[in-house]
Amino acid sequence: MSMIQREVAWRLFAEEFNQSTMEISGSESERTPSYVVTPLGAMVNRVYMVGVLTETENLGTPEDPMWRARVSDPTGTYFVTAGQYQPGAATTIASLEPPAFVAVVGKSSVYRPDDQTVLTSLRCEYIKEVPERLRDYWILEAARSLKKRLEAMEEALRMEEVSIEEIVKLGYEPDLAKGIEKASEHYSSITLDRYWSMLEDSLRYVLPEYERTPVKTNDEPEIEEEESDLEQMILEVIKEMEEDLDQESGVDYTKLMKEVMDRENISEPEFEEAIKNLRNMGQLYEPDLGSLKRIY
Amino acid sequence: MKNEELAPHIKDITRALKGKVSEEEIEQELQKWIQKYGVDINQAKRSIVNNLGGDPKELFTPSEKKIKEISGTERNLELKVRIVSINEKDIEVDGEPKKIHYGIFGDETGTIPFTIWETLPEPLDKGDTVHVINSYATTWNDKPQVNVGSRTRMRMLEGDEVPEFKRTSQRCDIRDVREGMSNLIITGRILNVEKKTVQTKNGEKDLYSGIMADETGKIQFSAWHDFGLKEDMVVEVNGGYVRSWRGIPQLSFDDNSTVDILDDGALPPKEQLEESGIMTISQLARRGGAVDAIIDAVMIDIKHGSGLIFRCPECNRVVQKSACRIHGKVDGEPDLRVKGILDDGTGALTVIITREETEEILEYGLDEAMELARDRMDHGVIKEALEDKLIAQPLRLKGNVTCDDYGLMLIASEVKEKKINMEEEARKLLDEVRV
Repeated sequence: MSMIQREVAWRLFAEEFNQSTMEISGSESERTPSYVVTPLGAMVNRVYMVGVLTETENLGTPEDPMWRARVSDPTGTYFVTAGQYQPGAATTIASLEPPAFVAVVGKSSVYRPDDQTVLTSLRCEYIKEVPERLRDYWILEAARSLKKRLEAMEEALRMEEVSIEEIVKLGYEPDLAKGIEKASEHYSSITLDRYWSMLEDSLRYVLPEYERTPVKTNDEPEIEEEESDLEQMILEVIKEMEEDLDQESGVDYTKLMKEVMDRENISEPEFEEAIKNLRNMGQLYEPDLGSLKRIY
Repeated sequence: MKNEELAPHIKDITRALKGKVSEEEIEQELQKWIQKYGVDINQAKRSIVNNLGGDPKELFTPSEKKIKEISGTERNLELKVRIVSINEKDIEVDGEPKKIHYGIFGDETGTIPFTIWETLPEPLDKGDTVHVINSYATTWNDKPQVNVGSRTRMRMLEGDEVPEFKRTSQRCDIRDVREGMSNLIITGRILNVEKKTVQTKNGEKDLYSGIMADETGKIQFSAWHDFGLKEDMVVEVNGGYVRSWRGIPQLSFDDNSTVDILDDGALPPKEQLEESGIMTISQLARRGGAVDAIIDAVMIDIKHGSGLIFRCPECNRVVQKSACRIHGKVDGEPDLRVKGILDDGTGALTVIITREETEEILEYGLDEAMELARDRMDHGVIKEALEDKLIAQPLRLKGNVTCDDYGLMLIASEVKEKKINMEEEARKLLDEVRV
């Protein structure tokens, strides 16, 4: 039966989405959609998420805008874009003032600037400012969805050979079973422990006794008192950039990231983590949105 | 593949080999091909017949079979069957509209779904007995079904040439009921029932229709026999079958079925069952619609044609730029509605919220909406107000869900904000994770 099915909007934590390196390209002529396949087997064409809008930036021109927004959940950050083909969303992003709780509906998209790097983002279909309780409710939904995938993936990893049929027999939906099979072929080693603790941490996040600091997703120790090599290198780069440009107001976050990533083979989350640590240690501060300055 | 599923294939091979090889030997051989080497069943059958000195073509010579013997691979199938149920369906083939029929065949060994892909030379009705020659079998959802194509011939038989069909009943929760099922055993409490008189080919008939429910959901039913059904009764229907009526699966039963009245305690009270059956959108998609379903979902889009709209006074269609698609320039009559997309993380569907419910959401009526639109000189303000209130909002909705080629559609009879105890839910989930 050829029922037209609208693609479901996945409730998906940013961390799982951003760890994705697998893409299934659809075709316009055959009307098959594209998917990003996450390490836990979600075949994502559309995402629904509620988080904190932390930054907005127009990478285009006033006439031909290309807005990029960062929206964070307890596990990481979604990059959300809206250009001339999403005029409604672009206008809304332009009018929003961070920080704000926002709900976002977007299409998954993957960009590969080079062989090693995979950048995931959402092409915004709809964005709207919402009250905080909707963010908490979303975390519940995303946690429930994550739990189901984790359980299914755990079963699959126990199988000698992952088969869609066997997973469906255990009571999981055929679409998820298909995604799990694809993910287990593509991702060489899937470690579930970090996702289990991510799930626990995100659930605690909505409890009243919980102190709201971002959920840790890396296995690294908490905050190191001494700067790591990477952090020292970043301080070094900032110093150079400040001297070069004689910038009073600090260095641009994006330029800094580019410069650091040119020198060292690190991922964006690693860079963000390092910046966060430096700020926690009192080495850096943010004089303006999107710029960083050393504290002497 | 289980042993009983192999049985019809073993029979096919035995016949093709004209009994030269024992069934036991063939079974061993077939098991080896399928289980050990994972060869496709059709390929395996061909190869076995070939290797054991037979002619694979024999596999496809006409064979009269009983329904129980149908494996789903037959290319030239002859059957003598009784029509358990038959329905019409309009489809499109290469852009041309076409009328096809589907339903259930039965004989003394069991029942099987069928599809007739060609125009019927003469009308067929429930209870008719037919000789089907040169049909073919396929599988759908791992179950065999019979196809009547352009090369198939059908001949009417006398009623007594086919024995009454055997019902192999299966017990089923109401939530899991799907179109095309037959021989069901369903336990439900009658939420409402009314008597109607309808015209059929065989004259006027009394029909008892209503809604019944169990803890998993609700379903419309049609009883073609007076079983003395009363509101609030708990009944067990044995021998029901399912067909879709206006895009919603419906349970039918007749004098071939039995209805037992059960103890009142067998199911929760009526008030509780009225609220039963929260379904996920993926469950609804698999089932193909539901009556009076309850859905928890988030509104993620509101489409054009929402808010303050104008309808053609002639045909009620939504008017665009003061022109009706059919009647041209008309003085449209104002109305309020929402046409949106609901998504619950398992699937998405289109929802229609009609005027009364829309007014409740807006907290004002049509007149005030008109005034607001006039003040702002923009009809869009009402759609915007609805977006503000509805998008990203977790909702609990109730209503009938229909299913057609354009997907699922909910006509909401009730729209409420979903109440959530965040802390309780989070702790419950957390406990499950820690185990």
